[in-house]
Amino acid sequence: MSTLGEIHHDRPLEVVSISSSCGRAGRLAALGFLPGCRVRISRIAPLGDPISIEMEGQEISVRRAEADLIEVKEVA
Amino acid sequence: MIATGTRPVRIALLGNPNTGKSTLFNRLTGLRQHIANYPGITVEKKVGALELGGVKIELVDLPGTYSLAAASPDERVVMDALGGRAGHMAPDLIVCVVDATNIKRNMLLVSEAAELGIPMVIALNQWDAAKRNGLKIDHELLADRLGVPVVTTVAKRGDGLEDLKKALVHSLADPRQIPRILWPDFIEGARDVVLNGLGQFGVEVTGPEALRMIFDTDSAFADRAGHRDKLPAILRTAREKILERGMNPASAEPVLHYRHLAALLEGVVQGDGMVARTRDSVDALLLNRFWGTLIFFGVMYVVFQSLYAWAGPLMDLIETCTGWAQDQVSPLLEGTPMLQSLVSDGIIAGVGGVVVFLPQILLLFLFIAVLEDTGYLARAAFLMDKLFGWCGLNGKSFVPLLSGYACAIPGVMAARTLEDPKARLTTILMTPFMSCSARLPVYVLLIGAFVEPVHGPIVAGWTLFLMHFVGAAVAMPLAWIMNRCILRITAQPFILEMPDYRVPTFQNVVIRMWERGREFLVRAGTVILAFSVIIWALLYFPRPESVAEEATATFLAANQATPGLAAALEDPESALSQKLAHRVEGAYIEQSYLGQFGKFAQPVFDPAGFDWKITVGVLSSFPAREVIIATMGIIYNLGADVDEGSDDLRSILANEKWHDGPRAGQPVYTLPVVFALMVFFALCMQCGATVAVVAKELSWSWAIGSFVFMTATAWVAAVVIYQIGSRL
Repeated sequence: MSTLGEIHHDRPLEVVSISSSCGRAGRLAALGFLPGCRVRISRIAPLGDPISIEMEGQEISVRRAEADLIEVKEVA
Repeated sequence: MIATGTRPVRIALLGNPNTGKSTLFNRLTGLRQHIANYPGITVEKKVGALELGGVKIELVDLPGTYSLAAASPDERVVMDALGGRAGHMAPDLIVCVVDATNIKRNMLLVSEAAELGIPMVIALNQWDAAKRNGLKIDHELLADRLGVPVVTTVAKRGDGLEDLKKALVHSLADPRQIPRILWPDFIEGARDVVLNGLGQFGVEVTGPEALRMIFDTDSAFADRAGHRDKLPAILRTAREKILERGMNPASAEPVLHYRHLAALLEGVVQGDGMVARTRDSVDALLLNRFWGTLIFFGVMYVVFQSLYAWAGPLMDLIETCTGWAQDQVSPLLEGTPMLQSLVSDGIIAGVGGVVVFLPQILLLFLFIAVLEDTGYLARAAFLMDKLFGWCGLNGKSFVPLLSGYACAIPGVMAARTLEDPKARLTTILMTPFMSCSARLPVYVLLIGAFVEPVHGPIVAGWTLFLMHFVGAAVAMPLAWIMNRCILRITAQPFILEMPDYRVPTFQNVVIRMWERGREFLVRAGTVILAFSVIIWALLYFPRPESVAEEATATFLAANQATPGLAAALEDPESALSQKLAHRVEGAYIEQSYLGQFGKFAQPVFDPAGFDWKITVGVLSSFPAREVIIATMGIIYNLGADVDEGSDDLRSILANEKWHDGPRAGQPVYTLPVVFALMVFFALCMQCGATVAVVAKELSWSWAIGSFVFMTATAWVAAVVIYQIGSRL
């Protein structure tokens, strides 16, 4: 298990949890990053950050620092 | 039936960013809209008027947001506006603009807002895009489940607009609410902890506000509770109740709302919207490491070029018109020189000085509207974010900062494209540091007079180039320090949605340009005009006749020996007459209040090596730095019509010597002085128009604060350069 911010490939992932208690965690949950949802890093900015994440038909970019609040696991 | 008596019915537009909410607002109100600021915060409030079936309606376009969570007063505005708190009037009806391509996420905000108990109408916008993406949405089923009208719209084409209006009329007669979330008992328990806890101190907050305090870490609603010492303990107890049930209080609210929505949306949407889209192949190019970056710089070059070069002819035209108006009016007031000067140099020049910014503002907002509406601006921000993130800015800061290189006014206004209040504030404060085109004449004059003759054109060219980065190089670390140490607003995550590529609508683009131009003229223009008249008065008065007589007498005494002096002075066009006129003008400015103040304030600038003439030049440039050249022309008795290329001015500067004091007889303009002066101009906010625009975008305290700060920074930098430079 790792955080979404650590991922550098574009294989499908599943959100395990958002465990941080900081306000930014709530914002990410509001966007739909909830346990069980499928995500994939679809694009990485030329300078390595931010990353673009595909989730349920929407594409959202966040910085790796924020993506680190989301714990993910690879989907077989 | 919604009965409002004689006041108009209030309808609020609520929705996520990028849903086409503003396009719908423009469609409904057209040009019957205006922008106001919410009191005390920097978020703009767009209000429009329309009439439906004889009912007068006031339509408010609320800022786009993903949820009602609020960590700053700027974010709190949506919930306050819906709840009728903090001086807002609660709406009678909410139109929820929901992006049909992403119903689930968009409905979160709707579900949150439903707690406030206001009737709703749902507009499923971007209906065409949802169909293209392969989504099958049963909107009739959705309307059944929600119990309110659901209308499908394509705002950019105006489709569904009549249906929406009908639904509004219907809802005004028969207002309906959507089913609210049923909170589990532990959430209700947590809410009661806060309501009772605060109730003990006599503080009344609403139930939804209490929940926001529990759910949002650093909630902006905590201010409302007062009792900053007691509140944390109360909130800890409340959050404990949620933790006991194994939920993270920071994400419990969205999780529970999404569960509630899952039941409501069951079977409404089919397909996952993941069909291959054309945008993916476009993105592959535009976000490519190499090509994307190249295209980005190409696009930005065009934007910059338009402000820097294309706006030029229009600005020249405005200046020509200003000159023409001055020439027309001046003779009419020949008999009253004071009035003549006030009207011509104060008012007409002031109005011209306001209008001259319009071409750049309109052009920049033309580009911004097109870039934003096509979806490119989000891509540009994605590409550039890393460059700016470290000092508290984000990728969207690029366009305002770049515009600042042409002119800070449109740049500061362009910072409105930043949603995050902290990044927006930082961007606005940084923009005046960018080397705007009005600084160029100062660099050209001084480099041309002192660097080029000594070090040659190549060094001169590099000096000019590097001067353009002095402001940015100083401002970015300052921004970093400010974000780290001073600004205690919680940073919001940088969330960037990649919207589908769209063709911009003509109406949106025109309204954007029109509203920005009008706002600048009405709100900043009046302040700038007032500055212009004040500075005119300081340079004009007290103007005793004795000054002219004395200057004339000195001039005649010095030119006694000149053959044909009397005859030459008879002719006002002769070289000698012109020279005398310039002397008198120079004497007047020396004796003016500002001139006297310059002499008085010279000791302040002495550590930077400035004499009283430079000091007057610097002080008179505070309303608009570009007047330095004309002021120097007057001070050095060449008249106001010199430009930065003037050889006369350059040679006079090169030969200028200290008259008295410890440096008597030495040249005034040594290289350390020249660089101290250029850096002072690079860092100082010598632009009344920028101060006025910052005040309108943020507040007067921010404007005055940044003015004082930039002036102090400029002074320190100038002193450091002179002191080190003159010891080398």
